[in-house]
Amino acid sequence: MNRKKDMSAVLDYLKTDERFRDNIAHWKVIPPREAKSVPFPFEMDSRIQDALVRRGITSLYTHQETSFRHVREGKHIVAVTPTASGKSMCYHLPILQTLSEDTQARALYLFPTKALAQDQKSELHELISEMGLSIKSETYDGDTPANIRQMVRKAGNIVITNPDMLHSAILPHHTKWVSFFEHLKYVVIDELHTYRGVFGSHVANVIRRLKRICAFYGSHPQFICTSATIANPKELAELLTEEQVELVDNNGAPAGTKHFVFYNPPVVNRQLNIRRSATLEARDITEQFLTNGIQTILFARSRVRVEILLTYLQELIKRKLGPKTIQGYRGGYLPSQRREIERGLRNGEIMGVVSTNALELGVDIGQLQACVITGYPGSVASTWQQAGRAGRRQGESVVVMVGSSTPLDQYVIAHPEYFFDRSPETARINPDNLIILVDHLKCAAYELPFREGDRFGCAEIVEILEFLTEEQVLHFSKGKWFWMNDSFPAHNISLRSASQENVVIIDISERGNERVIGEMDRFSSMTLLHDEAIYLHQGTQFQVEKLDYEEKKAYVREVQVDYYTDANLAVQLKVLEQDQYRSHAQSAFAYGEVSVHAMATIFKKIKFETHENIGSGPIHLPEEELHTNAAWIGFSETLLTEIGTEDVERGLVGLAHVLQHVAPLFVMCDPMDLHVIPQRKAVHSQEPTIFLYDRYPGGIGLSEQVYKEMEMILTQAERMIVSCPCEAGCPSCVGATDDGSKELAMTLLRVAQGGSAYVS
Amino acid sequence: MSLKSKLQRMKGHLVKETDKTASLSTETEPPAQEKEPEIPYADRWEKLQASPYIWEDEHVMIREVRYPVGQKHGAYAFSELHGVISAWEASGKAHPLSAAGRRPEDLLFFDTETTGLSGGAGNTVFLLGYSRIEGEEVVVRQHFLPAPHAEVTLYQSFLEQAEKSSHLVTFNGKSFDWPQVRTRHTLIRDQVPALPSFGHLDLLHGARRLWKAELESCRLGIIEQEKLEVFREDDLPGFLAPVRYFDFLHSQDPDVIEGVLCHNETDVLSLITLYIHMTRLLLHHEREAVSHEERFEIARWYEALGDQAAAMDGYRLVAGSNHSWSNRAKLAIGHLYKKQKNYQQALEVWESCMKSSSYVPEEVYIEAAKVCEHQFREWDKALHYTRQAYEQWKKRGSLMRNRSKADALAYQKRIERLEAKGRGIQAEEDGLISGLFDWTEDKQSE
Repeated sequence: MNRKKDMSAVLDYLKTDERFRDNIAHWKVIPPREAKSVPFPFEMDSRIQDALVRRGITSLYTHQETSFRHVREGKHIVAVTPTASGKSMCYHLPILQTLSEDTQARALYLFPTKALAQDQKSELHELISEMGLSIKSETYDGDTPANIRQMVRKAGNIVITNPDMLHSAILPHHTKWVSFFEHLKYVVIDELHTYRGVFGSHVANVIRRLKRICAFYGSHPQFICTSATIANPKELAELLTEEQVELVDNNGAPAGTKHFVFYNPPVVNRQLNIRRSATLEARDITEQFLTNGIQTILFARSRVRVEILLTYLQELIKRKLGPKTIQGYRGGYLPSQRREIERGLRNGEIMGVVSTNALELGVDIGQLQACVITGYPGSVASTWQQAGRAGRRQGESVVVMVGSSTPLDQYVIAHPEYFFDRSPETARINPDNLIILVDHLKCAAYELPFREGDRFGCAEIVEILEFLTEEQVLHFSKGKWFWMNDSFPAHNISLRSASQENVVIIDISERGNERVIGEMDRFSSMTLLHDEAIYLHQGTQFQVEKLDYEEKKAYVREVQVDYYTDANLAVQLKVLEQDQYRSHAQSAFAYGEVSVHAMATIFKKIKFETHENIGSGPIHLPEEELHTNAAWIGFSETLLTEIGTEDVERGLVGLAHVLQHVAPLFVMCDPMDLHVIPQRKAVHSQEPTIFLYDRYPGGIGLSEQVYKEMEMILTQAERMIVSCPCEAGCPSCVGATDDGSKELAMTLLRVAQGGSAYVS
Repeated sequence: MSLKSKLQRMKGHLVKETDKTASLSTETEPPAQEKEPEIPYADRWEKLQASPYIWEDEHVMIREVRYPVGQKHGAYAFSELHGVISAWEASGKAHPLSAAGRRPEDLLFFDTETTGLSGGAGNTVFLLGYSRIEGEEVVVRQHFLPAPHAEVTLYQSFLEQAEKSSHLVTFNGKSFDWPQVRTRHTLIRDQVPALPSFGHLDLLHGARRLWKAELESCRLGIIEQEKLEVFREDDLPGFLAPVRYFDFLHSQDPDVIEGVLCHNETDVLSLITLYIHMTRLLLHHEREAVSHEERFEIARWYEALGDQAAAMDGYRLVAGSNHSWSNRAKLAIGHLYKKQKNYQQALEVWESCMKSSSYVPEEVYIEAAKVCEHQFREWDKALHYTRQAYEQWKKRGSLMRNRSKADALAYQKRIERLEAKGRGIQAEEDGLISGLFDWTEDKQSE
């Protein structure tokens, strides 16, 4: 039997063994970092200091001390530090200090998920009891029992909750929280970077409402935010809170040497440029670590993948380590299950964990030695978050990112400098998106009447208030707008979903035990929940028996089949107004407002392994209309005669395919939130055009960003096509594989960049 | 593009607030001239017996209707409230609905109308209505909010009057009306006096106890018809009140809101009748025309409140009748005896129950078996009763098609244990088999 190898031996093995060595595309060593610490601030309560000393902490890291100082000076802050740098101390310490001086004071902690809130509650409880302070802290969410809720409202010094709860349960009932709002000193927004896109735009408005209520009760809380590394933390914090925010980024936490390996699975079909499955490669690499006793986290793309990898690894390791030592972790597990896994990881009883990005957020699982990522997580920031799971304050750690065949993955693997040198993505929000703004104005009017001359955060609102008065939702009376409707507006508005009227998914597999298992926005439901669609939920296959589009309900039944369904969406897009424009020789970029008409037409059943089409059927659903913003690239009609109509069309499709993958990268959004469609003859100009539009009604600033950065996006698209090793085109670049696809896409790309159709 | 036209374009994407069930009146009278509170449609208000109340340049309308105290509303005259209060005093019972020590005018029979059903800051209370005995009259007084900005005046006017009473009598007011008043009051708390800390008699809880099984719903309207002999004519359904109010805000025409005022008036008057009726049931069920179901529920209520003597009286009356609930009452009497450690009498009641010709609940056998086993150590008898319970359970189960395995197992274990005891072997672990009996006890305490 061979003995277990230590970390450096395993790394050597990966470097030299022929099974792995040829697939290593890049190996970067990130040198260790020394701790930078400073003594406890003089004013810090001795009970807090003593408790820290008992924990073996005798000084603060620089970023913790800076946060403490700024907060005590009354500034709003955003602290940006990597995973496991003790960032929660950036808010705990100054807040506990204030609470030790003023027992009346209150603080609100906002976490993006319930799980994180639970986690922080236990940490906070421990801390408070070690300090011997009489501070009451409690979570307030859907799981909080009624009798405790009342106690929390009346006497909780620190209330830990999530934005959804604030939106629908706390703010509309603010009169039950009078003393809380009167004494609210701090609002903590942890994991700030998760508040982007539609969700972030909603939350920004929830914060406007919160500030309005606070002002009513005479308080003006300070905001303390923490964020993972993004390009614009200060800007995001300022947009979200509408306050001037101080950036704290002088990370003082130490770190050991970290190896970052880009791994590209071997090509198995050269012509189509198809590589071996990333899942299988990731599994084999993880196996190397685990069998040598190295604690490892394996990130998979989906919940299904988690289960598949877990089953395999458990089987493999059982003989050597015992079955309990490898666990799965994903949304859908019970909170108690999750807690147990987190504990097991911290105390080392669990050797490996297979997770979705659920563990990307700041759940405390201690620090592992190795991290394997299956496929590029889609953004630089997200990748660093996952990679942060491996890394100890001392000693070596390793991150292996295994690329999949998608264009994005292949691009990143081939361009490590893109990943390492580029500043991470910019998080965007658009709090003034009209749809979102109107939603929250209703909620705000429900909470307190608006007066003439009032603003809502920075937003001008008179016209909207007048509109809502005409719609008979508000009533204007003696200089004030009053809510005058029998509904409860917050209940009709979800912060998380892209579209307003969600389709509820009901599992009817068991008679008498029908239950709601999820929901989906209406637009997506056309292609994912139509009759006979196969819907995957937590790794279980369901078939949709009926989509009741009127009632917004989809009835599904559990099935086991070897195919999935893929629906065709016919999209028509019309430009309503062109707001911005710049042109080149034979092309132009524009940005403006568009209307999109989408209709689901047919669906295909596609077999898992072979991808063959094994049947199809029509979809009978009404057309959906979407008003939103778009950026577009228009090409001169002369191209049609220059290179032929059909070829232009193929080129457009190919380039659109590439852009669909590249563009989301630059605006930091889910590819689902930004759609790309090519048109040979756009309605407004009769020219060949590629549109990139915001999937959310009214837009959340994604396409605007695309318009601004179009040159850069096109450059990256070009590099992606050029660096793809396929011959004429493949699913990893332009999508189509027939002759000349790649060349045609390149031609249009050159024209778009201001060049001509022919290489000179 | 202007924001307005953009809003029109986006209209399809905006959440619609629930469709109104009635159309809004198109007649949009310009809002009242704000200088002197000039009351639009003053003549129509007068016809409705309403007059303005003015406070800090704002007005609200107070509608006042008076009835002689001897007038009947449904089954009782208002004046019977005097007798009801004396009856509580005479009974000496500490019951949540007791008005002992109160004067009739202390009781404010209170109900509100609001713009929505959910509790929340934006749900406006636009009508605060109550009835109260004032001397030789019953006065219905309704404080109505004619424009949302006048809430300060609304609460000012209401508090001036309400202070004279000490207790609210409501129907679901404990969890809805009064908290909603508190919510709205909080929003203007710096401009109006504090709310008094009223005592609160809420009749919904008791009504549910008495009639939940009997009536299709415990709404006040249903109780009026079935129990109070109050029959409404042309009553406006309560759920239309918000829409009527929204209409009123546009038209300012009191005729639009008249239906709501009348509905609320009947509500607050019926509260007096309901309170008289419930008191009489509770205190004089032996001589009132009370159904055995009601009597049984009254006894259960007393039992829950810890008044065993009153409970026993009630159960005995039901047990002594030939009503189909008499065996239930016997079962309950046995439980009371058992609670008093009077095991012999408990067993006797249960055994007499078994002899009856009507349906015997299996709990009777189980309870009898328990007493035989644990108190009298008569294994054979206990075994016999357990088997009978088991048989009955099986029969019932095959009808219901929903037998729980755990129950069957508990029965079998119990039988085995008793057989073993019968053979002179002490079962090892009594506690193990207690599952079934926990279950029956749960049933009892429900």
